[in-house]
Amino acid sequence: MNSLRRILHVEDVPSIQVITRIALEKLGGFEVRTCSSAQQALDEAADFAPDLILLDVMLPQMDGVELLRALGERLDLTQVPVVFLTGQTQLDNLEQLQEQGLRAVIKKPFDPLQLARQLRDIWDAAHG
Amino acid sequence: MQPPKAGTDADAHHNELSRLAALLRYEILDSAEEAAFDDFTQLASRLCDTPIALISLVDDRRQWFKSRVGLAVSETPRDISFCSHAIRSSEIFEVPDALADPRFRDNPLVTGEPGIRFYAGTLLRTPDGHNLGTLCVIDRKPRRLSADQRDALGRLGRQVMRLFEQRLLARRHAEQAALQQAILSSAATAVMTTDILGRLESLNPTAERLLGYSAAELVGRGICNTLFDPIMLEHRARLLAEEFGHPVQACFDVLTLPLERGLPEMAQWRLRHRNGSDVPVLLHVMAIRDEDERLHGYLLSAFDLAYQEQLQLRLQQIAAQVPGMLYQFHWRPRGGGEFPYISQGVQDIFGLSAGQISNDIRTIYKRVHPADLREVQRSLRQAARQLVPWQAEYRVEHPERGLRWVEARATPLPQADGTVLWNGLVTDITERKAEQLELDKQQEMNRRLLEALSEAVIACDAEGNLTVFNEKAKQWHGGDAEAISPMQWARRYHLYLADGVTPMPTEQIPLLRALAGEHIADLEMAIVCNGAPRYVICNANPLYGTGGQLMGAVTVLYDITERKRIERLQREFISTVSHELRTPLTSITGALALISANVLGQVPEPLRELLEIAHQNSQRLSALIDDLLDMDKLHAGKMRFDMRQQALAPLLRSALRANYSYAERRGVEFRLEHCDPVLVEVDAMRLQQVLSNLLSNAAKFSPAGEHIDVRADRRDACVRVSVRDHGPGIADSFRERVFQKFAQADSSDCRQQGGTGLGLAISKELIERMGGHIGFHSEPGQGACFWFELPCQEAPVNGVAST
Repeated sequence: MNSLRRILHVEDVPSIQVITRIALEKLGGFEVRTCSSAQQALDEAADFAPDLILLDVMLPQMDGVELLRALGERLDLTQVPVVFLTGQTQLDNLEQLQEQGLRAVIKKPFDPLQLARQLRDIWDAAHG
Repeated sequence: MQPPKAGTDADAHHNELSRLAALLRYEILDSAEEAAFDDFTQLASRLCDTPIALISLVDDRRQWFKSRVGLAVSETPRDISFCSHAIRSSEIFEVPDALADPRFRDNPLVTGEPGIRFYAGTLLRTPDGHNLGTLCVIDRKPRRLSADQRDALGRLGRQVMRLFEQRLLARRHAEQAALQQAILSSAATAVMTTDILGRLESLNPTAERLLGYSAAELVGRGICNTLFDPIMLEHRARLLAEEFGHPVQACFDVLTLPLERGLPEMAQWRLRHRNGSDVPVLLHVMAIRDEDERLHGYLLSAFDLAYQEQLQLRLQQIAAQVPGMLYQFHWRPRGGGEFPYISQGVQDIFGLSAGQISNDIRTIYKRVHPADLREVQRSLRQAARQLVPWQAEYRVEHPERGLRWVEARATPLPQADGTVLWNGLVTDITERKAEQLELDKQQEMNRRLLEALSEAVIACDAEGNLTVFNEKAKQWHGGDAEAISPMQWARRYHLYLADGVTPMPTEQIPLLRALAGEHIADLEMAIVCNGAPRYVICNANPLYGTGGQLMGAVTVLYDITERKRIERLQREFISTVSHELRTPLTSITGALALISANVLGQVPEPLRELLEIAHQNSQRLSALIDDLLDMDKLHAGKMRFDMRQQALAPLLRSALRANYSYAERRGVEFRLEHCDPVLVEVDAMRLQQVLSNLLSNAAKFSPAGEHIDVRADRRDACVRVSVRDHGPGIADSFRERVFQKFAQADSSDCRQQGGTGLGLAISKELIERMGGHIGFHSEPGQGACFWFELPCQEAPVNGVAST
């Protein structure tokens, strides 16, 4: 049985990058690949082969919603759950996003002490 | 003897009928004996030397004797009478020997008692030619009258007839006299007659009663000395002297002089009663003259005015009760006039006595304020011309009471001679006037106040006609108040709903709704007139009179355009700032959380306390920003609700779980006591938000070691979710503000309890947006129980079990 080990994190704000990485590495024991832009994520996703992708929605150039669709073209998102980590609590076309592979939305500000457990729950649910 | 032929032809019959009528007219048949007639029968008997003499009258069936000498019976049947023959003759009817006369020889009066042999009768003929009967002489032996005797008998007969005439006349006189007497006796008017010098000759019973004298006591006495007051006589004499231009003596002349000049004499007098009191009368004097216009005396009729005076007195008493002055004024078109009646109130109103003005209106005009006099006179003239009720308000310069306002009202009664009789009332309205002036002043104040207001004030009467439309209303509506029906306001006054773009439907116009009895508070709407919308808060209320009847409605509009603009700027600012703050805060809070949790290694003990403070406050700041943004979304209508029907129980459990760590930190325990199996239609996340708020509040205010009870009970079509804590409860002073923004029981709460003061306000909004409502009950010291109710449906049996 596989388990959640590798997480691709896309976030443009450096301080959040740091907090998130520490929370996931130290508390969850995950391997985290941090990307500062959608383009970087697209470039590295296939190579990194994440078990779960954590996306900020508000990104420069290409936002999280577009990135989700683009990632769907490169990865089998039924096996790789996508989680939005966003301050934007209201998302248009949530159902459509879910069809594209979005599994959960975690609100910013998030509790870094809970984040690892939350992601594990989501991954477990996806692999039911 | 043959009975006299009667009625053989129509003429004879007719003549007989008129003869009988004439006989009846003298009213003598069956009358008592009268000596005057007996003298004639005695005289006839002696002159003719007969034992029997009769005055015999013949009616339809008998002859009746008015007077008789030498005969016992008073009447005999007509068919055997001699007289019935006699009355058909034209001269003296003489029968020298009845036995020798075929008409009479079988007559029982001839053959039997009284044994008549001789009869001579002279006709009693009326001036109009009817033979009523005879004066006749009768003897028991045959004989003839001498020529002298016939002549004498004829003269006597004519005298008897004259006596008949006189007797009839006397009876007529007596009747007239009796009638007169009866009239006088029963007359309500006292009637007295005097001779030409004024000595009383007669007086009727009414006069006796009126004056207390019997007729016998007064007859022969001078009327003036006895019944008149010398002072009044003198007064009257002076007046007459003035009128006639020569001296008049204060005696009977006073009553008769006007008559001599052909003037009617009728005046009010006070006669002296026998007991010394005054008797008010209206005295009418008439001369008594005979056919030749010779003066015989005077007839004085006195109409008792005591009753009238009593009425007058009653009127005065009534008038005294009327505040003001009652009057009757006889107006003359050429000016002036007099007052036939004026009540005592004239003293109060004009400071004059009734006597001072009764004949001169100018006395009153002198009291009227000079500035008002012309208008008073003009309006009275006009009312008199048009014969309409007169009403005037004017000032009176009262000698004692100073300047007074009075109101005069009068109703005209046109008279035949072109004058007008006014019945009216003058009342003192000084106080009312003062109140009126005060009221005017107040109204003026109100008007100015309305103009000075920063609110627009618009009012209408019960019919919807605009009565108030102040300066601001004019400005905002871009025009003056027009007397237009309320139905037109929507078009004319550019009313819009709060969004500033939807025209307000007529039925929603606040003034109209208020007119229908509705009270409208704090309604937001807009007026769009020449440009950008003006946002206003509208309050409208119906106006009721003291009797409770609807008098109209008023609406007050308060301009909130600027306030709304500032609010919008504030919201935008908060929104921007909040978003900008969120990212750094996320980092700070996250970093502090990780450090505090020793994720990067054990934190040295000296740093721990400060780290904890930094961490907690950064969390609070995050929560505050979240709440502010939520509030902003709710206000801006930008918050979206993802409503789904779902079981309530899992939502409750999830909420409890999410707040578990917080409860643990505060040392309290959440307990889901009970949950009825129901489905609710909610946005799960928003419901979680509300529940988290209620749970964290409960935890915040509960002492450590207590438990917090959560339950959901179905109540008909609703489910009530309640969260009960065991804290200090909610102070009375705070109850009203619980759900207001930034409300906390006291300012220290913020710092002590770490709340934002927005939680309950947001919860209330959220629950209401989801079709429910929120509330609480609490008694200080007994803990608080917050609850919300949502519409629900029963969950399917195989659905989620409770708890």
